Amino acid sequence: MSYAETIDQAVTNCKQQTILMQRCLVQDKLMDALKHASVMLTELRSPLLSPKQYYELYISIYDSLSILSTYFVESHTKRHHLADLYELVQYAGNILPRLYLMITVGSAYLQSADAPREEIFKDMIEMCKGVQNPIRGLFLRYYLSQRTKQFFQADDSEAKKANVNFIITNFIEMNKLWVRLQHQGPLREREQRTRERKELKVLIGANLVRLSQIVEMDFELYRTEILPLILDQVVQCRDVVSQEYLLDVVCQVFPDEFHLGTLSDLLTTILKLNPAVPINKVVLTLVERLNGFVERNTDVEDLTRGLAFMSVEEGDKNLFFIFWKFLSQMSEERPDLSLQELAPVIRGILKLTLRWYPDNISNVDVLFKFMHEKCKDYGKAASEELDSLFHDLLLASEIKSDTAFFMKLLTECDAYEGLLSAQNLRLQKDCANEILDTLTYAEWRITSKAELEKILQVCGSLFKSTTEKASSSLMLDEESELDSGNWTFAPDQEKLAQLTHLCYNKSIDSHSELLLTCRNWFQQSGKNIIYHSPAILANYWKLIRRCQLRSKKKPETREKLHVTMKQLFKHASRIINDLYNACGAGCFDLLYKLNVQTASLADQCELSDIAYDFFSQAFTIFEESLSDSRIQFQAIVNMAQTLQKTRNLHTESYYETLITRCTLHGSKLLKKQDQCRAVYTCSHLWWATEISPLGEEEGVTESFFREGKRVLECLQRSLRVADSVMDNVQSCELMVEILDRCCYYYIHGDETSTHVGVKYINGLIELIRTNLDSSALEINPILGDGSKNTSDFTYIGIDGSYIYRNPASSVATVYNKATPSKAVHLESIPVEHFNRTLQYIRDQKDVDDRFKAINV
Amino acid sequence: MALFFKAPIDIEILLDGEESRKHVEIANSSDSPTARTLKDRYPIYEDGESVSGRVTLRVKEGKKLEHLGVKVSLVGSVDLLKSNGESKKRPAETFLSLSADLCPHGELMHSQNFPFHFKDVEKRYESYRGKNVDVSYYVKVTVFRKSTDIVKHKRFWCLLYNRDALLPAVSSTPADAKSVKLNIGIENCLHIEFEYSKSQFSLKDVIVGRIYFLLTRLKVKHMELSVITRETCGLEPNQLSDSTSIRYEIMDGSPVKGETIPIRLFLGGYDLTPSSQSNYFSIKNYLSLVIIDDDGRRYFKQSEIMLYRKRN
Repeated sequence: MSYAETIDQAVTNCKQQTILMQRCLVQDKLMDALKHASVMLTELRSPLLSPKQYYELYISIYDSLSILSTYFVESHTKRHHLADLYELVQYAGNILPRLYLMITVGSAYLQSADAPREEIFKDMIEMCKGVQNPIRGLFLRYYLSQRTKQFFQADDSEAKKANVNFIITNFIEMNKLWVRLQHQGPLREREQRTRERKELKVLIGANLVRLSQIVEMDFELYRTEILPLILDQVVQCRDVVSQEYLLDVVCQVFPDEFHLGTLSDLLTTILKLNPAVPINKVVLTLVERLNGFVERNTDVEDLTRGLAFMSVEEGDKNLFFIFWKFLSQMSEERPDLSLQELAPVIRGILKLTLRWYPDNISNVDVLFKFMHEKCKDYGKAASEELDSLFHDLLLASEIKSDTAFFMKLLTECDAYEGLLSAQNLRLQKDCANEILDTLTYAEWRITSKAELEKILQVCGSLFKSTTEKASSSLMLDEESELDSGNWTFAPDQEKLAQLTHLCYNKSIDSHSELLLTCRNWFQQSGKNIIYHSPAILANYWKLIRRCQLRSKKKPETREKLHVTMKQLFKHASRIINDLYNACGAGCFDLLYKLNVQTASLADQCELSDIAYDFFSQAFTIFEESLSDSRIQFQAIVNMAQTLQKTRNLHTESYYETLITRCTLHGSKLLKKQDQCRAVYTCSHLWWATEISPLGEEEGVTESFFREGKRVLECLQRSLRVADSVMDNVQSCELMVEILDRCCYYYIHGDETSTHVGVKYINGLIELIRTNLDSSALEINPILGDGSKNTSDFTYIGIDGSYIYRNPASSVATVYNKATPSKAVHLESIPVEHFNRTLQYIRDQKDVDDRFKAINV
Repeated sequence: MALFFKAPIDIEILLDGEESRKHVEIANSSDSPTARTLKDRYPIYEDGESVSGRVTLRVKEGKKLEHLGVKVSLVGSVDLLKSNGESKKRPAETFLSLSADLCPHGELMHSQNFPFHFKDVEKRYESYRGKNVDVSYYVKVTVFRKSTDIVKHKRFWCLLYNRDALLPAVSSTPADAKSVKLNIGIENCLHIEFEYSKSQFSLKDVIVGRIYFLLTRLKVKHMELSVITRETCGLEPNQLSDSTSIRYEIMDGSPVKGETIPIRLFLGGYDLTPSSQSNYFSIKNYLSLVIIDDDGRRYFKQSEIMLYRKRN
């Protein structure tokens, strides 16, 4: 008898023989049927098939043999006795067909009640030894296990034991064959062998699955009869693929409770594995199972039931303790274990302890300490490939998920910080970043100084790099000084800044202390405080506000709070100074604004001295350091806005001093249009308006600081400047803007007090008109026509920028300079603006009789 | 056949209860190709069994036959096939010859019946038909005449069950039931232990044993067990004649060190010859273990086993 060359041919043959066999069975020609079956089975002897093809063939033959089996059972004792058949099939000359037939008959025989079960089982498994070829043997034994699986429902424990033994024996033999498959064929096909083996692994695993089905909840049986044998085999086979797969299967198929009970055994086995087996995978699987156990059994009763399993063996019920023992044993026995492998194991155990003992910091601490030791032993810094491993370890999602625990860990677990600092800088930074993110996201409140310091220490890596860089060389220093003008986006620093917002303490003093701590730490990072200082300052502002509110609520504490507030302002000042000293040139604008803002706050707190101080500080910066004309203009506007809202500076004529100075600076700006605009803006400084949150009301409050004469002076002055602007368009535009201001004052104040009267307004309108007429000659009529067609509208903004608005889109574009392509339309801008203003005045006539006096 | 036509008398030998007896079917020994697939059926007798029957002499109608007497004899003989392809048999030994006169000389006028009876005949050998040896039993009726005698043979088959004389070992003393253990090896290449339950088997027995691989560096393809029947007789060169009665694969693939391969071979389904020995020939059975490696080389080991017939 021979076999086919290809799989297709083999399957075809097999189908043919099946049909012939069925025909014979219909006619009850058993001998012929067996002959066909045997021819068909000969195909399985083929050594030419790959495992996949063999499996295909096996499936088809399995089906055919099922037909035969059914026939055997049906006609048992009617036409033949299966005991006789069992002997009959022994005469097949070739072992493989013989054994397949034997198993088919044997399993059929087992279905009859009077069959000698034990003997048949024993005989079948014993005879299977005859097939030593790995693939053929594996499939034969798989066939055996498939055929016999229905007979394993045993009631009494003896039978159960026998069944277990049967399966284990089969399993052990299969595993041996499986391992042997690796060593077949030439060496260069090793890879392929391994791949093929992995394809076949299910055949072996099926045995363990079957075991788990029959063992049910009989833990004693599992512990004494099953597991030791399996583990023994796993250890003995010394094969990487096999050990890895089998332990995985063991972990997966048996109940969690069993694992709890036999944890030590499992872990001991892990230590005995082939060094090439990734320990971490196995440990992780195990941990996953145990964690799953907690998850699945939320019921306390179930849990205690599960733990009862443990107590069978472990005197100490502490799961972590067992793992810890395992770890220390491992570090003793396997010093060769690389960090790469160790880290995931630790991570696994970490997961476990977090799940089982969620609040036990000391467990975590021990683990991190262990890892830290290992890192130290390793000597040099871990390579970058390990980064992600350590990252996972340090920032396991289980740790992060509970922020309270995470915080506790950060603050109480020294080893954590130790381990972190043992990593390379990049990783440290990444981790610090993530830690900050986590805290920020959870909006965790840092209340104690110790806590804060710990966190800052953990995040220490974020300060470090810059100090290193700064001290590296003088050249670089200068260079970075130049660069520092640019705000580069620095997420790290931003996160540190965010940290300051997390600080909170009910006590103002403590809170201030927290902020000071931050400040002190941030000092380390040199110039980078440019990123943190605004945040700290903002927090001081908040704190000062809190003082203010509190003092309003409880007037009796006012005195004390007053002192505190002063102190806080001092801190604020210090911070600004620090910033100035650390990176002066880069951030004058910022410093100016911070000063103005702080001053405003001080004013609101009725601390006029302090406010004046900050204002003067701001002016100093303006005078000394703000050189860009644009920024200067903005600074003036900013200052004017702030000053106009101050209320408490009038003591010792601080206010007059400041506004005069402001206006003076405004009038000294470089560009005339800037001068003009600054001055008419400053005119408001003499015309305070109501701030309703302070309880002021127009017409009711009498104490407004208003000096109409000075207002008019300012307006006149700006008009003069506008008139002197050479560019007609600009000049007209400025005049129209001044006209707008005049209207404002005309509406908001009596003519007598503001000195901005009908006469003045009429005169201004007349002036603008004349100017426009004279410039109208310049308007190119053709282009003028064209300008009407254009769909763009152009305006000039309050700060002199050009705004183009396309009606089609809602977003306007702003340019500092008029774009050449659109410059031709510039002439129309003041005209249109003027027209709009006139229209407004006309409209006002309906509301306000006073406007009727204005000639439009 | 030609003799029949010429013969003036027709002799028929009927054994008592022949139809109800068990029969054996033996492949025809004649060399003609057509006959080879045919089988001869012979009634079975045992040692010490009486052989009885009746002889019928039929005279052709209207004729009479003069004779010098009729004798019936029971013969057992060993015949050897001559060497060099000659198919003529050469009687080597007639170990049994009993005879009785059926009727004195006279004239046969019509058909006549003569009963005969050989009581408790001792049959020393078992019937056997091999390549070179033929052990046969037959009843021979001879009608003596002045001219050629008329002879008629009637062959029957003799089976011997478990005779103590030949096989003293079967007396089942515990020592004899001990298993046979053979250590076989090729130095640094293959070392196996071949063990089977006993050295003597009845024809319906099962050979049970195991093969233990102590060392294996061979790439074994498969392993077979076979039973070889060896017939020894006469002189060289045809003295030995082997025939393989069973080929039975017991292992597929290459085992590793420490592996034990079970052996179980049912003999009952095969047509085997018991071992026997006489002055002129001997029949021996060997159990042969054959290992075939990947390159097709065969390694084998033979060891004699005693086969005997045993009553079920």
